[in-house]
Formats: sequence, structure tokens, C-alpha cells
Amino acid sequence: MSEVAVLMRKAPYGTVYTAEGFRTLMGIAVFEMEISVVFVDDGVYALVAGQAPGKLDMKPLGDAFPMLSEFGVTDFYVHDESLQERGLTADDLVMDVTIVDSAQVAHILESAGKVLPF
Amino acid sequence: MKMGVMLLEGPYQHQAADSAYHFVQAARARGHEIVGIFLYTDAVNNINQFISPPGERNIAARFDELAEQGIPVIACTACAKFRGLRPNLKTEHTRLSGLGSLAEYLRTTDRFVTFGD
Repeated sequence: MSEVAVLMRKAPYGTVYTAEGFRTLMGIAVFEMEISVVFVDDGVYALVAGQAPGKLDMKPLGDAFPMLSEFGVTDFYVHDESLQERGLTADDLVMDVTIVDSAQVAHILESAGKVLPF
Repeated sequence: MKMGVMLLEGPYQHQAADSAYHFVQAARARGHEIVGIFLYTDAVNNINQFISPPGERNIAARFDELAEQGIPVIACTACAKFRGLRPNLKTEHTRLSGLGSLAEYLRTTDRFVTFGD
């Protein structure tokens, strides 16, 4: 049961949502909230290893997520079907996460006190 | 019930800003308390006092009215800097603040609703 579930739904560079979702995580984690982070749909791309967005003048977002553990954010969930649909596996990701099915995603969101969708 | 709202979109391009406003009005009409409205990312553009849509609803004025009625309408300071929204451009009763306000609303509300794309 987390206080807040942050839901990442979008690819990391086409729009600002995932980057702002990350910034929100940093911003609210300092208030010692219990936070779950859930990656679904194109949101799973945010955790893929080897991102090199330098030609877009942007910083790699994937490398940032593992640092959140220093702020007490350690519960990362990735939707298995979203990975499979994109030809990805847990081995492609920058960090160890909990792989969850659709029913588990629903349960995490349902049991969280608040959900912040990005 | 105590409710908080986050908005992620600016005015006119998306329905989200209108939906957030109508949600707040409907919730208050039913006796709920809106603890605060947090304007994040492009939503900070909803507090530009120079918004003047000829013959259409004024979204900036709507949010300013809510703020005048005592509902904190808080726009993210960093997001405002990214978009050149200086403090002197903002509507009278709205405020600029950080993610601490969002954290506070998450902590102090029974329900928290996000409007975005």
C-alpha cells in the first residue's frame, strides 16, 4: 500500500510528461512519502538502458531513475504486456524492477492513496 | 470530502483546463472542499493575466476567480521559469510555488484528481 502511485504512460522524449513525472518523484519524495512508480504503455521506454538523447540536447532520463532509491523511492513496477508488445524484456532495463501483469497494475493503482498519471 | 486537483495542460489547446474548472465548481456545489489546485507544466499558462480571448470564456479569469474565492491556485515556479511566465504577468490572486504544495495536497486530501492529456 503506497501513499502515492506515480504512473508513467508516455515515451521519454516526445513530450515532457515522463521527465516531469520524474521531477515530481524527486519533489514529493523529500517529504518522505511512500511512493510506488508504475510504468505502462510507452512509459516502459523510460527505463530502457542505453538512451542517448544528446542529439536532441536532452539528458538521458533512464539513468536518473535508479538514483531515486537515495530518496527512498524503491518500489518500481513495470507492466509485462507493455514490455512484450514492444519487444522488450526486463534485461533491457536500467535497473531491477518488479514485473507485474495487468491485474497487479490495477491492484497497485486501486490500493494507492493517490494516483498521479503522467 | 477534501479534494485536490492537478492540471497539466495550458488554456484552449486541450479540454483539461476547462474540465478542471468545471470539476471544481461541481464538487463545491455538492459541498466538497477543494484544498488546492496545482498548475503543473504547461498549466502554468492558465494564470497569465494578459489572456484575452475575444468573445470566448476567459480561462485565466476563471482560475483567478477561484483563487479570489479562497481556493489556493498554485502554479509551479520552475515550470513558470521554463515558459517565461514572470511573476508580474500572473493573475492577481493566483500564486507561484514549488512541488511542496503538491505534496501537501496529496497529504491533506481524501481524493486527488489530475486533468491532463
